[in-house]
Amino acid sequence: MQFSIREGRGCAVLTLRWYQRGVLKPAVMIVLVFLLCPVLQSNARVLIDQMGREVNLPDDPQRVVSLAPNVTETVFALGQEHRLKGVTLFSNFPPQAKAIPRVGSYVQLDLERIVALRPDLCIATKDGNPKETIDRLVSLNIPVYAVDPRDLDSIMETILEIGDILDARKEATALVNRMHSRIQNINVRVEHSTTRPSVFYQIGISPIISAGTHTFINELIVLAGGRNLAHGPVPYPQFSREQVLALSPEVFIISSMSRKAIFEQVKREWSKWSGLPAVRNQKIFLVDSDILDRPTPRLVEGLERLTRLIHPELFEETK
Amino acid sequence: MNTRAPFVLKRIFVVSFLLLILLGVGMFLGLSMGSSGSGMSPVLESLFGARGPDSALMDTIIWKIRFPRVLLSALVGATLSLGGLVFQALLRNPLAEPYILGISGGSAIGAITGILLGFSRFPGVAAAAFAGSIFTLFLILVMSSGQSIIKRDSLLLSGVMVNAFCSAIIMFLVSLTRDSRLHNIIFWLMGDLSSGDMHQVGILAATVLPCFCLIFFFSSPMNLLLMGKETAQTTGVNIKAVTLILLVVTSFAVSATVSQCGLVGFVGLVMPHLLRLLFGPDHRVLVPACVLGGGAYMVFCDLLARVLPEQGEIPAGVITAMIGAPLFVFLLKRSGR
Repeated sequence: MQFSIREGRGCAVLTLRWYQRGVLKPAVMIVLVFLLCPVLQSNARVLIDQMGREVNLPDDPQRVVSLAPNVTETVFALGQEHRLKGVTLFSNFPPQAKAIPRVGSYVQLDLERIVALRPDLCIATKDGNPKETIDRLVSLNIPVYAVDPRDLDSIMETILEIGDILDARKEATALVNRMHSRIQNINVRVEHSTTRPSVFYQIGISPIISAGTHTFINELIVLAGGRNLAHGPVPYPQFSREQVLALSPEVFIISSMSRKAIFEQVKREWSKWSGLPAVRNQKIFLVDSDILDRPTPRLVEGLERLTRLIHPELFEETK
Repeated sequence: MNTRAPFVLKRIFVVSFLLLILLGVGMFLGLSMGSSGSGMSPVLESLFGARGPDSALMDTIIWKIRFPRVLLSALVGATLSLGGLVFQALLRNPLAEPYILGISGGSAIGAITGILLGFSRFPGVAAAAFAGSIFTLFLILVMSSGQSIIKRDSLLLSGVMVNAFCSAIIMFLVSLTRDSRLHNIIFWLMGDLSSGDMHQVGILAATVLPCFCLIFFFSSPMNLLLMGKETAQTTGVNIKAVTLILLVVTSFAVSATVSQCGLVGFVGLVMPHLLRLLFGPDHRVLVPACVLGGGAYMVFCDLLARVLPEQGEIPAGVITAMIGAPLFVFLLKRSGR
């Protein structure tokens, strides 16, 4: 150990002398050029984002502005919150996100506030962020990477991509592996059950809106061992009260946002219809919309909760 | 009315100069206030080339974000108040205005249809908006046809009905969409000035500025029209041609602003009345005054829309309606007496 240090010092002294004599100057230049090349290249890393746009990404973004709540959650889940310099109005999870400066809501972004934060990267979501605002950010030389998570697979894909951009590949892989094993766990349980209860999942109060086949709500219901009564090509179909009663759902789920009192009232109103199987069997539930409507790592938590609501017997057996 | 040309020219210059100062003050304030912080010194520094520590960032914010917006407000305000002035003169009705008559609503139907069909903002959506405005204009003229067009009530009622019809169709179109575009349409319906970049402002300017010139060219015939059709005819004005050209040109300019920033109401009511009160009824003076004054008014309204709420912004159309609607009621009561 000691020997190598001495050796090293000797070498350094020798090199310094050679350098001073001018012997090494051209060599140093060449080495420097070689050293700089990869740096220059990596500073102009070009990736294709989920909207198919080419994005010039900084190597190690330090001033990231998240343009949607689900992006904020993902960045926090990867432990990269120190890079976040701005988030949107409804970025309420985790609670620490509320302390970060706001840049408007994700559907109405405040361009000026975003620019004033001097971001070196904005992460946008295709579903929600106005395309004009994204285009204007790009025209102001701010790189915008857009994600478009549409189902559990693409959510995990998105986590890996954000992990790659924010230099948190290890964390991203670990997180995705955890999600995979939790989903697998649910799959195994659900396979034990032969019943597939019909589920009506209400996301809008007035009008009554549910989620069609090509939504992750449908995917979660199916994974949780239920049948989505609103399946069909329309992503967010409208229903009348009559239609819902005619469908006679066995499980009724109302996804509630912040104003919980209103959703309690909606639940009470449905509970009056004692003819509904869901009401008879007391299978009418309120769930927090943030864990079921947002394409984030927490969606797995939502899946577990949903499975417990649809198939409580699967969890009793294991006790 | 028939004052000599040099005198009118002098009046035009004096009035324009005064309003230009007002517009300049409004634009300067518009540039110096925003959601990321307000202050006049960065604008002054940027204007006179002084370099502060944050100057690159401030330059971007002032010239690439606030400036297009201020210009857009000025153009929209100018177009809408000029629209009000022309409609009031042609229909000889003090309460006529593109928004109240339903011309704006008609363009909105066209524009929303264009957006839903996936047209680009220019020229697709703008052309659809123009088609919509011409359609409602035609509807209003047919409904209140003949001499009854002069009557205040029949025209207003036609406008109210056309407006109700338009909003029903707009609501129908909005209820058809179930995706994220819906949010944008709703913001836009209430008058949204935030979308403009320099390119779009340039297109709008290229569309409406020639219209301003054309309307100014016809300002003398408008004076004569105000004195009655017979008088106008005896002085050799081709009433039909002038009316038609002015209506179409105005609808064109209004639909261009609607396709750019949605429904901004009552601007065409507030400014022409105020300016008429201040500078008299001569349209040769009023046309440039409406362009500059209306622009300044809208710049100030947009400033309120941006600065009043702590987070986000109020749609500009809400501010103009809050100021304009009470004035409308006041004018209605006064002219009813």
